[in-house]
Amino acid sequence: MGFGDLKSASGLKVLNEFLSDRSYIEGYVPSQADVAVFEAISTPPSVDLCHALRWYNHIKSYQGQKNSLPGVKKTLGQYGPAGVADTTTTSVPTTKDDDDDDIDLFGSDEEEDAEAARLKEERLAAYAAKKAKKPAVIAKSSILLDVKPWDDETDMAKLEECVRSIQMDGLVWGQCEYCSNAAHAKLVPVGYGIKKLQISCVVEDDKVGTDILEEQITAFEDFVQSMDVAAFNKI
Amino acid sequence: MALRELSSLEKYLGLKKPNKYSTRGEKKVPVLQNNNGPSLVGLVTIACHLVKEAKRPELLGSSADDRAVVQQWLEYTITKLQNCTKEDTKTILKDLSLYLRDKVYLAGSQITLADILMYYGIHAIIMDLTIQEKEQHVNVTRWFDHIQHYPGVRHHLPVVVVLRNRIYTSRHH
Repeated sequence: MGFGDLKSASGLKVLNEFLSDRSYIEGYVPSQADVAVFEAISTPPSVDLCHALRWYNHIKSYQGQKNSLPGVKKTLGQYGPAGVADTTTTSVPTTKDDDDDDIDLFGSDEEEDAEAARLKEERLAAYAAKKAKKPAVIAKSSILLDVKPWDDETDMAKLEECVRSIQMDGLVWGQCEYCSNAAHAKLVPVGYGIKKLQISCVVEDDKVGTDILEEQITAFEDFVQSMDVAAFNKI
Repeated sequence: MALRELSSLEKYLGLKKPNKYSTRGEKKVPVLQNNNGPSLVGLVTIACHLVKEAKRPELLGSSADDRAVVQQWLEYTITKLQNCTKEDTKTILKDLSLYLRDKVYLAGSQITLADILMYYGIHAIIMDLTIQEKEQHVNVTRWFDHIQHYPGVRHHLPVVVVLRNRIYTSRHH
């Protein structure tokens, strides 16, 4: 806050700008704020500072009653636009950009940037550590296979045994859904006394594909006529 | 319209018993029916009468010069502001902006009837201005904002929000 040095041209310029859309320093009636600023100006502002001059002449008309104006006088630095260095209470000379209005759109705030960057890095590191600790999720699928025999004379028990004999990394054969017996799958009648073997398994997607399974199962040519994937569910 | 302005003015002046008004003709010129004397016709005439009745002669100007200026602006309000076109508006705003450059009030260093009636008259125009236009006529806007916040003036009119260059100085509020 403040207008800078009101005795100098730059200070008066700030005041002029400030008063361009105001009639008084504060509010809509003359107050001690106006008196305080008025008294800080030694001479009337020049003609080119028309807003400041207008205000000056206006406040001058209140000279006789200036003590009865409302408000409490504050230090000069409390008035005026924000962002202008207050030079009335300190002896520090005004910085060179005193009249360089208050906005610094492209101004660098490196200090803040560095702080923000540091914070960001910290957070990234924390995130990476957290991620590393967490075991990677293994994508698995539950597959229901239909294995069809050649005819009604095919030994289904033998067929199932063959299928279950397939051992692969990432392949687990399911249990019979009725008796939880690992050696027992479901036989579903197809017709003409022929039954198909319905067996489920759980595979790790990365390691076992349905192609490999089909290849391996149909390899038992003596028993297996064909094989279908009846259901495929991601777990 | 003029009737509302007169009743607002009455309130500002603190007149206790409201007067009876009627309007005359197509232009709705207000007429004040006086009990003891001839009836008064015309906004400015009635307004001046009210001011004298309220014993506030300073509202018509405190010096001879001011009184003349007040009359000048009252006339301006009546002749230029009523039924003005879009083109007229521009001229009026330009005139006023130039005139108010070095003034706080229209006449002298205190509020006068000219300010009040001008405020009532120009309110509709200011209402329609965009932010850019308000900034363009900053002197008018400043004066307008000042008058509308002057204690007791604004009665029947809504406040016009005057934003102060919000792009770069919102902190100045």
